[in-house]
Amino acid sequence: MAAMFAASASLKKAVALINELDINRFPLLLSKILQKLHVQEERTFSEEEEEKLQSAFSMSSSDLELVLQTLEFILQQAAYHTAKPAVLGDQLRQLDLHEDKVNKIVEAWTAGARDLVQKLRERTVHPNQLEDVQWRLNLQVAQSTQTKMKLTNAFFQFGVRNEDTKKKENIRLEFTHEELYKFYNQLETIQKQLDSLS
Amino acid sequence: MMSIIQVKGGSGKVGVDRTLFVGARIPHEIQAMVKPLTKLDKSVFTKILRVIVASVVGPQPDSSSLRSLVSDKLTDDTVAVIFCGLEKLLRQAWKVSTSSLKKEHFLQDLQELQIPAEFHEDLVSCVFGSVRGKIDEQLENARPGLPTLDHLGWRVDVAISTGVLNRVLVRGVTMDMTLSDGSIKDFEMSVSRFQDLRFQVASVLSEMEKLEKRSILKIKD
Repeated sequence: MAAMFAASASLKKAVALINELDINRFPLLLSKILQKLHVQEERTFSEEEEEKLQSAFSMSSSDLELVLQTLEFILQQAAYHTAKPAVLGDQLRQLDLHEDKVNKIVEAWTAGARDLVQKLRERTVHPNQLEDVQWRLNLQVAQSTQTKMKLTNAFFQFGVRNEDTKKKENIRLEFTHEELYKFYNQLETIQKQLDSLS
Repeated sequence: MMSIIQVKGGSGKVGVDRTLFVGARIPHEIQAMVKPLTKLDKSVFTKILRVIVASVVGPQPDSSSLRSLVSDKLTDDTVAVIFCGLEKLLRQAWKVSTSSLKKEHFLQDLQELQIPAEFHEDLVSCVFGSVRGKIDEQLENARPGLPTLDHLGWRVDVAISTGVLNRVLVRGVTMDMTLSDGSIKDFEMSVSRFQDLRFQVASVLSEMEKLEKRSILKIKD
């Protein structure tokens, strides 16, 4: 398999820094990074937390930044390739990471890989997602222009969540029996397509 | 529904055991046109009827269609009075289903309302003739309600790879719905959400069928 990591200057520097880290605090750091990896646009650590880490590891803020970014990058690449733990271990050793750190990273990856990959698989590009479907069935008996009717009527509400604004829009539609039957046939066609792809 | 009312009008009949199709009190638009009707030409009457029917089933008439009927014998005020009266009469008749309002009763009521006999045939064909089907359809479609689904565009795809994951292989359904109010709604859903949608729609259809079978027995004309 192709190398996941190109040994650039900053990567070499980061490896040196990581090798110096206190091994006892290392696993916790890794699991926290893993947890937040699938979330876009959010910092893994708050400013406070970063300050605490700086003092805990006796590092300058720029060094800490490099360490965190590199660890994130390592895990992101592992996720991207859905790497087997053994393969990840080998690739990390090639970067001259110390054995104890390599083992901790592989352990964390083994534990968290499945969840992370599942969450990443669900990530889509389309901003609007259908969240729920609700409905109401009515029997219309009259209207201003006609009395004594027997018109069956269905109201549907499609709850669509916009990933960017986080707002949920309720799309409301109504269907007569005929219109609903037509819609159902379209859904059946879609199902056939899905079946042919599985 | 039966009720005993006193029919007001020139005929002076009393105690008819059925309400007129226009209602318990004769609408003032209909009362107002009785006199002008007696002097109206049959051809003009037929033209006015056509305009009223066209306003429901189309093509939409414009202001010239009535204005062309104005002459020295017929002022535009009179045309307006007759138009409003006839429209009110027809809309009341269309409001009730043809199984509720029988032709004989309709004719009886026309007499009570003092509509000249020469006009009865045309009125009957507007209410009971072949055009009634289209009229009912248009009236039903014009009912107030939520937007309907005009067009459904859809797509099924498989996400092969993303920026964060090399092998995704997840199927998805994308839909865009064009609604009757002109808006276009587009969104995506997972396969499981789609199955849920399909299940819900099937459930509603089956409930609808059950309801239709039941209600035919209970709601009688």
